[in-house]
Amino acid sequence: MRRIERLINLIAALLETRRPLSAEEIRDRIQGYDQETHEAFRRAFERDKETLRALGIPIETRKVDPLYDASPDGYVIPKDRYYLPELDLEADEAAALRIAAEAMVGSGDAARAGLMKLDIDDPASSGGPRFVWGADVASEQPYLPPLYESVLRRTPVRFGYRGAAADDVRTRTVEPYRVVHRRGHWYVVGRDRDKDALRAFKLSRIQGGLKVLEGTYEIPKGFDASSHLPREGWEVGADPDVVAVLRFDPELRWWAEQNLRPSESAEGPGGALDVRIPVANLDALVSWVIGLGERVEILEPDAARARVVEHLEAWL
Amino acid sequence: MSEVYGRLGNRLRRILVLVPHIIQNSGVTVEEVARRFGMTADDVVDDLNMVMMCGLPGYTPLELIEVVIGEDGSIEIGTADYFAASLRLSPAEALALLSTGAALMSLPEFADADALRRGLSKLERALGVDANEDEGVQVEVEHAPAAHLERLRDALERHRRVHLEYLSASSGRLSERDVDPWALIAALGRWYLVGFDHSSEEERMFRTDRVKSVEVLDTEAPIPGDFDPGRYRGAFSGTGGKIVTMELSPRVMGWFSEYYPLEEAVELADGWHHIRLLSGGDRWAAALALRLGADVRNLSPPSVGREAARLAAAIASRHRP
Repeated sequence: MRRIERLINLIAALLETRRPLSAEEIRDRIQGYDQETHEAFRRAFERDKETLRALGIPIETRKVDPLYDASPDGYVIPKDRYYLPELDLEADEAAALRIAAEAMVGSGDAARAGLMKLDIDDPASSGGPRFVWGADVASEQPYLPPLYESVLRRTPVRFGYRGAAADDVRTRTVEPYRVVHRRGHWYVVGRDRDKDALRAFKLSRIQGGLKVLEGTYEIPKGFDASSHLPREGWEVGADPDVVAVLRFDPELRWWAEQNLRPSESAEGPGGALDVRIPVANLDALVSWVIGLGERVEILEPDAARARVVEHLEAWL
Repeated sequence: MSEVYGRLGNRLRRILVLVPHIIQNSGVTVEEVARRFGMTADDVVDDLNMVMMCGLPGYTPLELIEVVIGEDGSIEIGTADYFAASLRLSPAEALALLSTGAALMSLPEFADADALRRGLSKLERALGVDANEDEGVQVEVEHAPAAHLERLRDALERHRRVHLEYLSASSGRLSERDVDPWALIAALGRWYLVGFDHSSEEERMFRTDRVKSVEVLDTEAPIPGDFDPGRYRGAFSGTGGKIVTMELSPRVMGWFSEYYPLEEAVELADGWHHIRLLSGGDRWAAALALRLGADVRNLSPPSVGREAARLAAAIASRHRP
């Protein structure tokens, strides 16, 4: 018997069973588990569970008899977690989801597999893509799906998290509230249990695996994840809050007007624009202004002006 | 299909969708199934022959899955109610649709936005999210001037050339250019225009926040049949294709390598790293080096070093007391 047939038999039996099946029962009853030794059976069964879980098939471990403490573990696939509920997608909703799948820049495998499950035609099978807009959100990060699943199921997680220095890895226990993509990076925002505070964690800094913990938690309604992510470099930092004034020369004022949406601005001399922005990190401000080039000047505070010159010292 | 699940995983995943599809559309033909799932008719028959060997414990004809293929190719599947509904989407599959969809919804006046919002919300509900809960995935795309995006979208839909005023990163100057627009792509939290730039005679990417104005011209600009947006995967930080090399201190190497795709990084004896990355032009590389201050050394090629010195002098002269 081929392994794929054994896997289909296993799914069918675990979906249909009324109570969890113990490993012994699985070995005795399900076709394909005719290994010679118990050891060989265990290995085959472990491997099968892993394969099915990787495909998103929810195999749960429960006591065969829930009233009996010493009861052996059994296995079951809960129907409510396996079956795709009826979505009743309208034709325009299905079409829009297809546009989303098609807009994925790079490997669209996961999106296409999703469409198949929703019973929506694959765009590739219906006359090729009509790509006009796309998105590259790099959603195939390894830690993203399990963290999203934690958000959905309200399951706390524990992971290693690398700090600013490469060798500074600490264990964090987190209740994930949301996954957020900002500027090419994925973050998980939630409650850090050890610090008892809301924190954002960059997925690219998670190291050495992720463990889903027992228990559950609530996500506050209307939780605003964005306010827990650093907006601009110069808005986060230890410096006392100051208001900086930046002068954009006439050639560049349109850029500031178009993209900065400053809280306050004033006309400068000769067509320049003076923009006021709140700053909590002078070094980040200095770095950003230098990147903008010679048509921008920090007018205030003086400390920031001095830091620009210091920062450039090596190049002068 | 994908390397992620391996051959066996992919086949199993397909069968868990294909069988419910046939049960729900009883009488569908082998040809129709083949077309829908992008398989050959032989593969469909192979899958069905295999499914027939499976079933529930007992495995007598009563418990095995019954598959009947008629002479006209129509298929019926019986005694497999447990496969009547499809396996739900995995978090990875749902995320792919949700995150791309969320990015698209940031397009101003996106015609399909309403249908997409409804579709995505039904999708999240199918994963167990209550209708009155907040969504679990959020994708931010920065504010870009709506008027520019609308004109670019219009030009793309009608295949028209555009005239741009564009703040070039490679020269730091405002430039005027005619571009045949091929796609608008959200990446790194921004919208980029991809197209053929007639002033450089090259395929180029343009950050929409650096666009000062867009004028849609009457000239036709068809999108080439072999245009492959997949090539833009992760290509949004450097342009041009020239290489710049520099050495970075251990203090900045960590975050720098997270933000910029490096062509090469070699650790030196003193803990600094020698790196190679795609340059967006001398001016771009010089500005990058200046931002790093004393944490960068040995810039190459020399033209970048000269530009850095010039730019440093110009900026410093404005900031001295």
